[in-house]
Amino acid sequence: MKKSPKVNEVNEFLEIASDFEDPLEVIRESLSNSYDAGASEVKISIRNQPEGSDIIIEDDGHGMNERDLESFFDLGNSRKTDSIGYKGHGTKIFYKSDHIEVTTVRDGKSYRAVMEEPWEKLNRKELPKYELTKHSVRSGNSQTKIKITNFRSGKGFNAEELTYNKIHHYLKWKTIAGSLAHKFGEFQREMDIIVELDEDIDDTRDKLVTTNRLELPEEQEEPGDGRFPAERMCKHYPAEEIDVEYDGGETTVQIVGMVGGKKARNELPTYGKHSSQFGVWLAKDHIKVERHNEAISHDNEYIHFFFVANCQDIELSANRETIRNKSSSVYQAVTEEIEYYLSKVMQDPWFKEEYLQTRKEGKHRRRMANQQSSLKERRERIEADGFNPANSSEVLLGLERAVNGNASLTLSVEDFQPDADVHAIVRHAGRLRNAAVHPTLTGLLNEEVPLENVDLAVCWTQGDPAELKEYERNGYIGGELSVQLENGALVYRDGENHYTEVIEVKPLLESKVSATADD
Amino acid sequence: MSRTITENTFNFEVNATAGDARTGTLHVNGTRLKTPNLFPVMNFYAGGTENSVYGGGVHRTMKEFMIGAERVSVDPLTNYFDATMMSVSSLTDYNLTRKRFEAYLDTPIKERELFEPFEGTVFADSGGFKFLNNAEIDGSDFEEDMDQRTVYQIQKQLGSDIIVNLDHPIAPDDSHQERVKKAERTAENIHTFLSLTRDFDGAQYLTLHGYNYSMMNEYLDVITDSVPQGVLHEGFDGIALGSLVPKKDDRGALIQAVTDCREVMAEWGMEDWPLHVLGISSRAIPILAALGADSFDSSTHIHNAINGKYSHSLMDHSPIKEADFSKCDCPVCQSDHLVNWMRGNTEYKKDILGPVAMHNLIVQKRELADIRNRIQQGGEDALVDYFEETFGRDRTMRQFAHQVVNQSLGGYF
Repeated sequence: MKKSPKVNEVNEFLEIASDFEDPLEVIRESLSNSYDAGASEVKISIRNQPEGSDIIIEDDGHGMNERDLESFFDLGNSRKTDSIGYKGHGTKIFYKSDHIEVTTVRDGKSYRAVMEEPWEKLNRKELPKYELTKHSVRSGNSQTKIKITNFRSGKGFNAEELTYNKIHHYLKWKTIAGSLAHKFGEFQREMDIIVELDEDIDDTRDKLVTTNRLELPEEQEEPGDGRFPAERMCKHYPAEEIDVEYDGGETTVQIVGMVGGKKARNELPTYGKHSSQFGVWLAKDHIKVERHNEAISHDNEYIHFFFVANCQDIELSANRETIRNKSSSVYQAVTEEIEYYLSKVMQDPWFKEEYLQTRKEGKHRRRMANQQSSLKERRERIEADGFNPANSSEVLLGLERAVNGNASLTLSVEDFQPDADVHAIVRHAGRLRNAAVHPTLTGLLNEEVPLENVDLAVCWTQGDPAELKEYERNGYIGGELSVQLENGALVYRDGENHYTEVIEVKPLLESKVSATADD
Repeated sequence: MSRTITENTFNFEVNATAGDARTGTLHVNGTRLKTPNLFPVMNFYAGGTENSVYGGGVHRTMKEFMIGAERVSVDPLTNYFDATMMSVSSLTDYNLTRKRFEAYLDTPIKERELFEPFEGTVFADSGGFKFLNNAEIDGSDFEEDMDQRTVYQIQKQLGSDIIVNLDHPIAPDDSHQERVKKAERTAENIHTFLSLTRDFDGAQYLTLHGYNYSMMNEYLDVITDSVPQGVLHEGFDGIALGSLVPKKDDRGALIQAVTDCREVMAEWGMEDWPLHVLGISSRAIPILAALGADSFDSSTHIHNAINGKYSHSLMDHSPIKEADFSKCDCPVCQSDHLVNWMRGNTEYKKDILGPVAMHNLIVQKRELADIRNRIQQGGEDALVDYFEETFGRDRTMRQFAHQVVNQSLGGYF
């Protein structure tokens, strides 16, 4: 006996509708539907209500007939073929509300479909129904109005969080309003988009008016003046339509974009964290879906790039935030093609030799300026406090100065390894001796340098005498330590006696200075 | 652009360009070679007797293809032997007796009845690469001191069309001092070479060593300390760029070396000379050709065969055991007899690998013919298309291909 697997319809509707939380996703959906309906204008109003948001979408598209309305309410019965709404999931967002009312006029007929309490009924495991009424009207008046009452936002997506600014950026980034289709020379219908927010939500202006196009920041191939000369540099890369063969078919990738500095990129609208918006976007219906920054080699930071690669054969997950068919050969072929295209961009002489070079030069100049100010500070410090070594190399410099001013001090540095425990080999009275060099003697002990092989401890000063006493009292690496500075020595005993001569550099220089003064 | 170096013996004319790439014809001693072109390394001697076409192993089978020997049952494949590279130092790879050595050299290659079908250009390398590790070329078996004089004597006795001076190639980790010393020793050889070759009837290529502009420029500075620039110009006809074998897999280094070499050649008044890149082939060929290199030599067709690789293109090969010979229309794969050999049905390994090596060479030579054809089409588009088709799917190569398109073929944007 063969049995068919069953689907729980109510749960399916619940599941799909639950995937959408942000009221802006309603806008995304509506704009795509209006565009597909041939609208030249779409107007969206959002009003904040205690239970959710009231959302009204009106467009002057060709309207819906009875069959279209069925698709509107059905699940998985879309009449679209390859565009973004082909799965028939999108309008199911609207089920997360208390009331859905669709009024539409098409071919001389007016339809009104009303669904009551869809969200409550779904949660009661009941499939909501809609009531359809039909009238004849004069032809030539096609349009659609959708009214959603009390749309339930997810936590953190309440209508009161919205602003015109946020919506504008969202429109340009995540909806057809941010389409780059016009770059491909194909006919792209203009559609005006008007958004009106309740004054309670944002009263900074009456409404937002925009189009269904994303404009790239103006090109500027030459560097600017100032500290960041590449920041406004920007180059557009021509729209390219590439036919891609894959195992089992052929598809087309449309790719276009720009490379630019921070200031140029700031002219683009973004949604979310600014820096996370750049790189390479995969898109469907020219609506950006998911990034594919792997297309940019690791030698280059993706942040300089903004490219959109559109392909109608990528498939989206139910909530349209990610690509579903990543394991398919078409996805594989498309991403390979994008990587190939981007490789050309990365080898473009403007990018490599102008833009990156300008950034490098700017960085170099800033480094130089920083050096100047840091050097100024260092020089001022020397003027004020005199020579005061901060590391072992500087201690050796001091030692050399002391040697130069004191003929009886027969010492020369033959070898210096800053990373070694025993930093230097010095020639002292004709013999090679192993020297640990530290700004303070306590520093040497704090680093627990084994003293067995240290003939000389060269330091600027002894450091904190109390600390030295503590080493004498508590011992040093399992042995005893005797600090005999009056004899110029450290003696370490771990069964055997190890004698380390101590040279303090500061007093050597001071005696030289005072001698000069006496003259 | 045409220049006659010595009447009737050498002439190199460029007949088309696409960006920096160029096609031309190299006339030497009555041979005529289309460029860019590949000189497959051939060992015309090595361990055999006349019955085995003077040579052993895969080299022997290659020569059998060249002359259409009965064993291989194909017409002479002379098309693919329009140029060959023979290294003087390959003589030292075998324990040759003095007697055998003299026998090998007593008649020039092309005058031997055995090699009658062969009319290609013979380039005889000096074998300087044997000095790479500061070693000496050891000719002790046949009791010869392998110096510039001996090397030239052998080059001449082979009946070479193109020869180079004996050089001391550099290694990537050589110090500046070592490089200068090698250049000085090479300069001494050049001095000797020029005094010996006054009556030589072929083309003389000057070896050039360095990985970038400054190194090559300094090399020529050192050379011209001993040999005046005017004498170099009189005495030499082309450049042989060496020392690149250790960098053969570093495409960026190869691109820089050839680009800089062209620049140095232009500044030293050698821009019309042909440029041969020693020891580089396969995947690097289209890139170097696009940068304006005119010829290459290599034995990768043989090495690939020995390593069990059957070529589908310059970029692509598969294990011999997985090869579908029916998909190739080359004379080797079209021969049932040779396909049978390649499938392992023969007594000697050289007979399994020899036909594969020949097939691999044919693939390389055909691709070069395609590259020449594209350069001749006028404009850069055909060559850019070649890069797109050839390197598009190869992640490791494509950035270099894109670099070359941008640098030498007009760019994409």
